[in-house]
Amino acid sequence: METLNFSDSTLCIMSILMIVMPLLSFSAVLIRRTSGGNFAVFNISISFIISILIFLTVWNKNIVHEQLTWFSVGERQFTAGILLNNLSVLMMVLVSGISTLVHIYSLSYMKGDANINKYWAYLGLFCFSMLGLVISDSLLLIYLFWELVGFSSYLLIGFWFTKPAASQAAKKAFIMNRIGDIGFLCGIMIIYSQFQTLDIVKLFGEGGLVSSARIDDGLWISTTSQMPAIWLSIAGLALFTGAIAKSAQFPLHTWLPDAMEGPTSVSSLIHAATMVAAGVFLLGRVYPILDHFTLNVITAIGIITAFMAATIALTQNDIKRILAYSTISQLGFMIAAMGIGAYGESMFHLATHAFFKCLLFLAAGAVIHQLHHFKEQHQLDFDHQDIRRMGGLRKQMPVAFITMCIAAVSLAGLPFSSGYLSKDALLITSFEWAEGFHGVKKAVPYVLVLSSWMTVFYISRLIFKVFLGKSRFEGIHDPPSPMNRTLMVLAFCSIFILFSFNPFSYENSWLVQGFQDAGVLRLDPLHIVVPLAVNLVSVAIIYCAYIIYVRKDAKVFSDESFFYRFSNRAWYLNEAYTFLFTRPAESVSHFSYQFDKRVVDGIINFLGSVIRILSSISDWVDRRIVDGAINSVAELAKSIGNLSRKFQTGHLQHYLITMLTVVIAFFILNYFL
Amino acid sequence: MIPLSHFMLISAGLFCIGLYAVLTKRNAIQILIGIEFMINAAILNFVAFGKFDKFEGGGQMFALFAIVLAAAGVAVALAIILNVYKHFKTIDPAKIDTLKD
Amino acid sequence: MSYILSILIFLPLVAALIILILPTSFRDRFKYIALGTTIVQFLISVFIYLEFNSTSAFAGVNKENQFQLLEKVSWIRLDLGSIGKLEIDYLLGIDGLSMPFLILSALVMFVATLASWEIKTNLKAFFALLLLLNTAIIGVFCALDFFLFYIFYELMLLPLYFLIGMWGGVRREYAAIKFFLYTLFGSVFMLLVIIGLYFSVINPATGNHTFNMILMMDPANYIDGSIFSSIANQSLLGISARLLAFIVLFVAFAIKVPVVPLHTWLPDAHVEAPTPVSIILAGLLLKVGGYGILRVCFSIFPDAAVSSAWWLGLLGVVSIVYGALNALAQTDLKRLIAYSSVSHMGFVLLGIASCTTEGVSGAMLQMISHGGLSAMLFFLVGMIYQRVHDREIANFRGLALIMPQFTAFVMIAFFASLGLPGFSAFMAEAFSLIGAFTSQDVNGFLPRWMAIAGSVGILLSAAYFLWTLQRMFFGQTRLKGGDEWLARLKDANLREKFALVPLAALALLLGIFPSLVFSKMNASVLAFIQLISG
Repeated sequence: METLNFSDSTLCIMSILMIVMPLLSFSAVLIRRTSGGNFAVFNISISFIISILIFLTVWNKNIVHEQLTWFSVGERQFTAGILLNNLSVLMMVLVSGISTLVHIYSLSYMKGDANINKYWAYLGLFCFSMLGLVISDSLLLIYLFWELVGFSSYLLIGFWFTKPAASQAAKKAFIMNRIGDIGFLCGIMIIYSQFQTLDIVKLFGEGGLVSSARIDDGLWISTTSQMPAIWLSIAGLALFTGAIAKSAQFPLHTWLPDAMEGPTSVSSLIHAATMVAAGVFLLGRVYPILDHFTLNVITAIGIITAFMAATIALTQNDIKRILAYSTISQLGFMIAAMGIGAYGESMFHLATHAFFKCLLFLAAGAVIHQLHHFKEQHQLDFDHQDIRRMGGLRKQMPVAFITMCIAAVSLAGLPFSSGYLSKDALLITSFEWAEGFHGVKKAVPYVLVLSSWMTVFYISRLIFKVFLGKSRFEGIHDPPSPMNRTLMVLAFCSIFILFSFNPFSYENSWLVQGFQDAGVLRLDPLHIVVPLAVNLVSVAIIYCAYIIYVRKDAKVFSDESFFYRFSNRAWYLNEAYTFLFTRPAESVSHFSYQFDKRVVDGIINFLGSVIRILSSISDWVDRRIVDGAINSVAELAKSIGNLSRKFQTGHLQHYLITMLTVVIAFFILNYFL
Repeated sequence: MIPLSHFMLISAGLFCIGLYAVLTKRNAIQILIGIEFMINAAILNFVAFGKFDKFEGGGQMFALFAIVLAAAGVAVALAIILNVYKHFKTIDPAKIDTLKD
Repeated sequence: MSYILSILIFLPLVAALIILILPTSFRDRFKYIALGTTIVQFLISVFIYLEFNSTSAFAGVNKENQFQLLEKVSWIRLDLGSIGKLEIDYLLGIDGLSMPFLILSALVMFVATLASWEIKTNLKAFFALLLLLNTAIIGVFCALDFFLFYIFYELMLLPLYFLIGMWGGVRREYAAIKFFLYTLFGSVFMLLVIIGLYFSVINPATGNHTFNMILMMDPANYIDGSIFSSIANQSLLGISARLLAFIVLFVAFAIKVPVVPLHTWLPDAHVEAPTPVSIILAGLLLKVGGYGILRVCFSIFPDAAVSSAWWLGLLGVVSIVYGALNALAQTDLKRLIAYSSVSHMGFVLLGIASCTTEGVSGAMLQMISHGGLSAMLFFLVGMIYQRVHDREIANFRGLALIMPQFTAFVMIAFFASLGLPGFSAFMAEAFSLIGAFTSQDVNGFLPRWMAIAGSVGILLSAAYFLWTLQRMFFGQTRLKGGDEWLARLKDANLREKFALVPLAALALLLGIFPSLVFSKMNASVLAFIQLISG
């Protein structure tokens, strides 16, 4: 490998160019309304090439960190910058590589869609935000891209917005992610309040603020401020909540199966390979702040998710839903690995999983695509995603079959696949880790092994039901070549050779070596016993599945049994959430509106009517009493006036009489009184 | 010698007759006659009191002055009555009440 | 140059007079006169923005000589004999706390004028009143003399009352009177406090009583033993007179903001008001409340503000959550947005109550951001209402299919309002919350749970906006009015885009470069915090 040497600033410019290229596809839709498929593929390919160059320069070498002031609030400066280390360059290559493949795949998969230009735009926005997420150097910036990723996922899930289920699923995904985002935001608030900065290098770097903070006498003390120690755990848990939502962990996983309403290429890129891995990535970024308690919670959530999703995947019939639950389960593995401190192993599994799960989805997409066309050609009506309706596609769609088998082998963790390496890495490390503990923690590796056996079963069930058995579709064939080629490339990426030249030792993998090791005591026997035992049982399970689904000799699951329904309805969690959260939220909001209308506004209106009553009383008083007094004075004057009017008869003689009377009266008064 | 009181009585009688005519008559001419009665009652008093005046003939002189004035007043009054008649076609003061408010 | 603020304030008044003088046969020109006025105003305010000196030597807040574009003219001097000499100045000036509002006012007024195209009756009166309102609003943001401030403050009510009462919806009289009485209730008591302050404060330069707000901020200017003197600490009705005055002023401005439970005029006024008035109400009137709390309540009575910060924070959190919950229950689109305003303005109160630089900066940015976004939202609602005279959410479905551009603007407005990063509301809400959270550390005013409870509002805002989006815009098109509505629901036209694009651009610009606002007001915010805590 030729050594590449770019200066730091060149690398930064390259990184910016890399994240901006996909944004061009997004803005293209604003400028012209043609379908920008080729343009988008071109952009993302450039990004991919740049990311490879950056990767080769930075991997296992110095960390590149460049930043500039973004804005300042008061006296505090907030920076925006680029941080390139092993973690980010790995994610960068992964994201841009898979995005490129999915873009190429989409060229034919989405062909003929009425809103195809929007599709490219949204996909561009997604790539932009995902790449931005991985190279950002500040929590605020990560949060920004974090939500943008969720937003573009919202747009893509709801891409076929005329389908009510799609818009419903999009909304659900966004709101579930919002719950996580709030956790993330709370984490940011705690960290900012404690350390007055959100710069990742300053916080989590070597000898950074987080590691120099200490817990003393129940107080979490940093160089600048202090708060009760509980907030350290809360910060970790809050950040982890963000990861829970984004990586579809229990209990916020229910959005991911619903997100399968989006186009399959989108499910493959966003909901299997990249975005859902962002949660794991975030944990990797903020790892130093996670304390023991938080790590235990993370492990617990991880194994619960891995186990739960695996049991659900056993009985699903929608091909995409099986894969979705499989994704959740595998993410559970990664999260659990993070929890036990197997940072590198977790990232390793993230990388291998990205390829083989993407491949599984794309191959499933090929099947769905072809069946959909078949259905339209023959004007049939059936659910083209239901594996019970499929079967025998092995002969007609050999490429899809073979590539999907490779991916399945990888998912099941059988030898010579990439999945074998990473899953072994996880399982062995977890056994090694459990050696140091007693009690419940001992159970962790066993639950993981159990889940991994269930994985083997459901993926075998899927392959057997879809590809083996009797063919029902005459004249169906492999999809067009862009799709086929993509599948083949991904299949190559799902075998061991890309990650390690030794198919049996994950420790030789360049990827694991790129990260610090888990810090557990290496126990040599485990490195032989665990893979051997796990894989032998796996093979047995595959054989069982073969008997059940292909030869149909045995029927293990009754459709009526409680466990079957429990698993098929996904542990009734959706129903439970509707009952526990959605309905109460609706009723609380209605109650609060009625409260607002009746009580708050009611008081105002009541005050208004009280004032009206008072005013009518005062009106009465005013009219009858105050004004009455004035009027009666006037009345008096008037009546006196009327009286005196009577004297003015106009008759001369009357006047004279009056005068006479007055004169006489005057005399009388004068003389006699 | 006739005592003053007799003159006074006659004068008072004349005045009362005149006053009565002024207040009761329905004809302006009659009222005018009543006024003349009252003036004459006054003139009689002038003449009667003239005897006791310090200046000789003062009462007579005033009486003459009053007679001339009364004559002039009658002339004016008759002219007014004539005009009133022209205007109202009557000289009954009870029917002429335009002084009313 | 030095009279630029007066020009800014009285330009619309002149335009209003011109409109009044012109014969009615020019009625079609009136809107262009109004529009031209707002454009000129906008250019002037941009000029002010560019020329604005944001160094700490020009922080303003409580130092008169640090204010910029200061205009001081002796206005009323009356010898009142034994009481002293009445001293009222025509005192205008801006600092970092008021300058951003000038641009916002001009922009929102521009949009409101564009929205006035839908008004068809009695155009002369309408535009004259609109321009009068414009004068009053800009005046409030510039006035530094409390008497002048109060005049402009009350002057806003009059045109609004007529604008709602004459051009409003079905229950317009009810809404107009409710609005008028509510606001008057607050401002009447404010007048008492103003008089009390007048008798307590002396201008050291002349020895007269004064209405100068800046002088009121300095405890040294209070007469010993006067009612509001902080040293004398007089009490009224059993509580400290300064606290009582603070509460009275706060209630007056809280009605404008509005803060729960003084908010019920807002949904009614919004629902009944014509679109341009809704835009001004939400975009500017509410900001006058927030600005008043900063400029008057907190600056003149910092001691009382500090002692009641906890309660203000609580009111802020209650407004955030309560407003959002109510918005979730609405069936009328305009009412939903009205309640969302209550929720978003809660962040302003929370940020201000925290008395931290982050919180106050966040609150300021939130006011600017919400000013633009609520104007945009009401404009969008007005577009639908103007076309079919209906706003019931349930009566629409699948609008995205028939009005794609309109839907794009709605999505921008909705997502910006629900705090999507990259738009201004996110920065604003995030910093209000961060400020509230750090408050415990910095000054101990607000407990940490308030910030966390406030962040629930962000979740709820996503819920109601997305739910609305799903119900009205997605799915297959189905309208209550059938084909008739289909024909009338045309996509956004050029004039409407002309109004919407600047608002969307403002939200995006401030979201990506919040320093556009932050850098201009940092010095003032720091001075403000210094005033509160010092």
